[in-house]
Amino acid sequence: MPIKIENLFYDYNPNTPFVAHALKDINLEIGENYFYALIGETGSGKSTLVQHLNALLWPSKGTIRIDEHFIDGNNKKLQKKKKKGVKKLRSHVGLVFQFPEYQLFEKDVLKDVAFGPRNFGIKEEEAIQIAKDSLNLVGIDESYYNRAPFELSGGEKRRVAIAGIIALKPKILVLDEPTAGLDPLGEKEMMDLFLKIHQNGTNVILVTHNMDIVLKYAEKVIVMDKGEVKRFVTPLELFQDQEFLNTVAIEPPLVFKVARELIDNGLNLDLKNISDLPSLASEIAKSKGETK
Amino acid sequence: MRNFAMGRYRPYNTPMHRLDARVKIIALVSLMVAVFLGYGSVPLNFIIYGLIFLGLVVAMIIGKVSFLGVLRAIKAMWFMMIFILLFNVLIPTKGGDYFLIGDFKVYYSSIYNTLYIVFRLFLMLMITSILTATTSPMDMTFGLEFLLTPLKWIKVPVSSFAMILALALRFIPTLTEDTERLMRAQASRGVDFKEGKLKEKIKSITSLIIPLFSSALMRSGDLAIAMECRGYDPKAKRTKFRRKNWRISDTLWLLFFLVIFGGSIALAVLGGKYDFFQMFLDLFK
Ligand SMILES: Nc1ncnc2c1ncn2[C@@H]1O[C@H](COP(=O)(O)OP(=O)(O)OP(=O)(O)O)[C@@H](O)[C@H]1O
Ligand SMILES: [Mg+2]
Repeated sequence: MPIKIENLFYDYNPNTPFVAHALKDINLEIGENYFYALIGETGSGKSTLVQHLNALLWPSKGTIRIDEHFIDGNNKKLQKKKKKGVKKLRSHVGLVFQFPEYQLFEKDVLKDVAFGPRNFGIKEEEAIQIAKDSLNLVGIDESYYNRAPFELSGGEKRRVAIAGIIALKPKILVLDEPTAGLDPLGEKEMMDLFLKIHQNGTNVILVTHNMDIVLKYAEKVIVMDKGEVKRFVTPLELFQDQEFLNTVAIEPPLVFKVARELIDNGLNLDLKNISDLPSLASEIAKSKGETK
Repeated sequence: MRNFAMGRYRPYNTPMHRLDARVKIIALVSLMVAVFLGYGSVPLNFIIYGLIFLGLVVAMIIGKVSFLGVLRAIKAMWFMMIFILLFNVLIPTKGGDYFLIGDFKVYYSSIYNTLYIVFRLFLMLMITSILTATTSPMDMTFGLEFLLTPLKWIKVPVSSFAMILALALRFIPTLTEDTERLMRAQASRGVDFKEGKLKEKIKSITSLIIPLFSSALMRSGDLAIAMECRGYDPKAKRTKFRRKNWRISDTLWLLFFLVIFGGSIALAVLGGKYDFFQMFLDLFK
């Protein structure tokens, strides 16, 4: 599902002393079949932007087109009718909130995951089946089905909440820091799950602070700073541009930090050839060969 | 939910904001008294309400209080005004001047009574919205605690109440934020809070209330532990972190409102005996 965002502005608490200009003139065009990362400092507007993608927030100004859905923040008269079609959009764009575990409420895990599909008009038995499949995907087994969501550990709650969105079978899955607070193994499992979902044909937009994840999984990365989109490039292009990274206070992944230290210490490496650990190693070997 | 136009504290720095909270609370009480008293004659009542209204408008301009909220309140009061008017007209009154609609006697006094009630409510709304818009919740709590000090002498735990009030006020924005966030989170799972059948509505409310309660309970538990870790003892004598300097202007305004307080009571008592408005008119004869 292609997304086209034009001149998008968003203010929290407009016309009050508390006004916060969270998004300023965002322009983005996103194609088809993608796994993108959205990064930026705390408070740069990432969560605000992704909530626009399923019309949870309505633009103060500007437009968003997602496939056949059109969100028009310029037309004030339309505001009243905006609810039309929004539900359909929400079934197409699944948004996993930051700390989604707080939205669990049903008597048991299975019911909670089936809650979303039920809301979109899917019959009980089918919704339960979808819920089981989704829970299976996120690695929650049958023994959990009848447990109350409140008795689970933080990481388990997180998985259940994510399953709740996956169960909607969205065409675009938007994840707002889904792995924050998980242990390293859980984080890797979760990321591999998203990759699997992506390979099955779902578009993924991932908000994260973890640059190693960006490097490993994302095809392209959107960089935000103080409410503006600063870059929309591949992770390699981003991490090789140290000057820019300094201006937006982003730490590159470890591989790039090591490479940079080596260069600073006189090793003749070409950053352009480095993308991960093996390529770093072979680049080092190559430069050693030269000096010998 | 967060754009409550009326009654929300707006952090500007105006003379109204700088006025000591205690003075403002006393002003609120004395103005309320002045508004709810009757002064004997109809014209005098309206003159006094008019003067208070003008004073409040000036205060709102100085304190940058939003007129929008008050205007909205008027809109909401239309219906009530008609209702009260009907009520007053239909109840038999003692007498006085009247005019006829068909065969039905409508007494002027019942119309005046309706207007009084509407004016009083309206002025009261203005007064409270000025107070809450220009006084931060913290200052308000300290002000109340100070003014309720006499209750401490009869062993009412005023400080604890003030702490409870301060905490409650502190958590209102947090709770509204939580609610908003949850509404959005559940909306992205397809919950529709506006439409749907009764059964669906109940379900959507549950999806909001249960997580809200659970996080509020968790928060209050955490808060209690945090307070205990920092040695909070409800019985201990407290000192203030923020000391407000009492200024000359505070004294002057305090005196002014005490005069209004005393003056309005005196006027109301005497107004029962003498018709001041008539006496005033007589002066020019
Ligand atoms: N409900 C709100 N009311 C007022 N201002 C808000 C609200 N939510 C966010 N903001 C402000 O908008 C800006 C963008 O916030 P946003 O939550 O989008 O940041 P973020 O990039 O997601 O940060 P993080 O990485 O911490 O999640 C911030 O400056 C924030 O203070
Ligand atoms: Mg965020």
